[in-house]
Amino acid sequence: MIGFVARRAVTLVLVLLAVTFLAFAALNVLGDPLVNVVGALAEKDCTEVYAGVAEDQSTSLNPSGDCEIVAQARAEYHLDRPLAPRYFLWLSDLIRGDFGTSFQNNQPVGEVLREKFPKSLLLMAMAQAVALGVSIPWGVASAYRANRSFDRASTIGSFGLLSVPVFAMGVVLLYLFTLRWNIFPSAFDDAGLLPRLWSLVLPAVTLGLPLAAAYQRLLRTDLITTLQEDFVHMARAKGLTPVRIMFRHALRPSMFSMVTVFGLNTGTLIGGSLVVEQIFGIPGIGREIVTAVIRDDFPVVLAAVVVIAVGFVVVNFLVDLLYSWLDPRVRAA
Amino acid sequence: MKPANQPLGAGGVKPANQPSGASGVKRRSSRGGADGLDEVKPRRLGLGFWLAASWVVAIVAASLLAPVLPLTDPTDVGVGGPRLPPSRDWFFGTDSLGRDVFSRTVYGARISLAVGGFAIGFGMVFGGGLGILAGFFRGRLDHVIGFVFFVLLSFPALVLAILITATLDRTLLVVSLTLGILAIAPVGRLARATTLVYAEREFVAAARVLGARRGRIIVRELLPNVLIPMGALTLLGMAVTVVAEGALAFLGLSVAGDDAISWGKMIVDGAQLRDLQQAPHVAMFPITAMFLTVLALNLVGDRIREYYDVRELAF
Repeated sequence: MIGFVARRAVTLVLVLLAVTFLAFAALNVLGDPLVNVVGALAEKDCTEVYAGVAEDQSTSLNPSGDCEIVAQARAEYHLDRPLAPRYFLWLSDLIRGDFGTSFQNNQPVGEVLREKFPKSLLLMAMAQAVALGVSIPWGVASAYRANRSFDRASTIGSFGLLSVPVFAMGVVLLYLFTLRWNIFPSAFDDAGLLPRLWSLVLPAVTLGLPLAAAYQRLLRTDLITTLQEDFVHMARAKGLTPVRIMFRHALRPSMFSMVTVFGLNTGTLIGGSLVVEQIFGIPGIGREIVTAVIRDDFPVVLAAVVVIAVGFVVVNFLVDLLYSWLDPRVRAA
Repeated sequence: MKPANQPLGAGGVKPANQPSGASGVKRRSSRGGADGLDEVKPRRLGLGFWLAASWVVAIVAASLLAPVLPLTDPTDVGVGGPRLPPSRDWFFGTDSLGRDVFSRTVYGARISLAVGGFAIGFGMVFGGGLGILAGFFRGRLDHVIGFVFFVLLSFPALVLAILITATLDRTLLVVSLTLGILAIAPVGRLARATTLVYAEREFVAAARVLGARRGRIIVRELLPNVLIPMGALTLLGMAVTVVAEGALAFLGLSVAGDDAISWGKMIVDGAQLRDLQQAPHVAMFPITAMFLTVLALNLVGDRIREYYDVRELAF
């Protein structure tokens, strides 16, 4: 087990390096970082000004103040260095917790992320809760009488649910429950914990329902297999109630596939929440990324993307460990 | 296919696996009713398949023929009043600028399907090629390619798409390429796994003994066999990319420009609170079109996969 964890940890570090480098390189190679940082100022020819920088040029109307900004940006983002060393300088800043400064409002990016991430995380946690809350009873009910009418209907239902794009679901739910029936607020309500949770119900359902359909399929399949095992026959022979057999005996050993997919779906969930935040006006990380992209706020986009990607990799690593702990056969593979 | 916007388990990532059910027609016929419950049935695709297939054909035909069909110009502002409800003149009503929603929905299919088709084609060529090479040569090449796939899959799909589209001009080509890059790793893994299985088979050994070169074995022996499961994945993958384009549209990162109409962009336009309140049809018609198309692609892809008894190899 220790050897297995060590091997996986080495892979984890390699993947983290590759992922951060890819994100960094994408934003540095595909776009001119200087343009992304200082906008049109990057076009200015500042070579001459360096020679004759004078003390009184700090006044805002002085055009060479622009050149100072450019020079500052070059220094701050190490733009005078080649890509590889620039990456390592950036990475060492990142590890020390320095995410850079948002160019738009001069706010430290770390602060922006700390403000936005909790809202997105809360949304994702609620979505997973909805997904589990719906899929477990649903899966149990359809496996209990497999291939009977309820099960057949729910197979069709889950197939249909999986074909609904998450934003389509969001728009339809927003229309019905907010505009038509006025049950949920149309915007995020930050006045206390309860209003916050209440205004996240609809977005969480939007994200959670397709997940629930995916979980239901897996749980149903595994449960049907488990229900044919000897210990279930034994429990039946002892005269236990079907409810007790289902929930106390059969459910737990049938949840392996669900646990794996629970982790893998984090990526889907992240992508989905970026979109759902747009629809329901939640000021989370998704909105922040979109505004940052529109304003070419390079440090914010990069930091947000890197934090999300690193989080995703780490979650999958943990699920991998958890899974191999649950099922020792995985370790051998 | 790593879904961009659908949970894993979507579109047949894991089959419904009904014990006596429809999955694995071949398996059932080979079992030949041994338990007295399953009689041998001829291979059939079912009514749902044909309905779904006709929808896909109809949408593709409509999008190809859009310029010659008697439609109003989809970009023409004010052909009707703003936000008119559906009527005999305007089947799907008009949007907030008085543009014909029906015509826009037909034209929107063009970009949605073009992006989907191009992206999955790109994924097939590059992902499939790398996967076959990795599966055939094994060893160090396999490790390198496997690591590349793993890194690509380590990004949440939409985040990777944001990274690429955020910095470039969002032309049709850039958006399609971006989604194509997302398709490389899932397609590649399937191709690799399938190649691994077939490379062990007798006919490949026979070709080797007969002195066939490696290039010939790959192209003539392995490729045709790998193409079958990949073909089934094409339709499922197109469903995923059509949805992914819509998700990008919600982030303002779909194909730029007013004359580039896609279902995703139409839904975004119609989903502004005021439009949704006063004229829900503006969003609901493209939503319905997209849902039916994704459903149909999933259904057809799923059935074809079952028909050829393609097992889940890579997921």
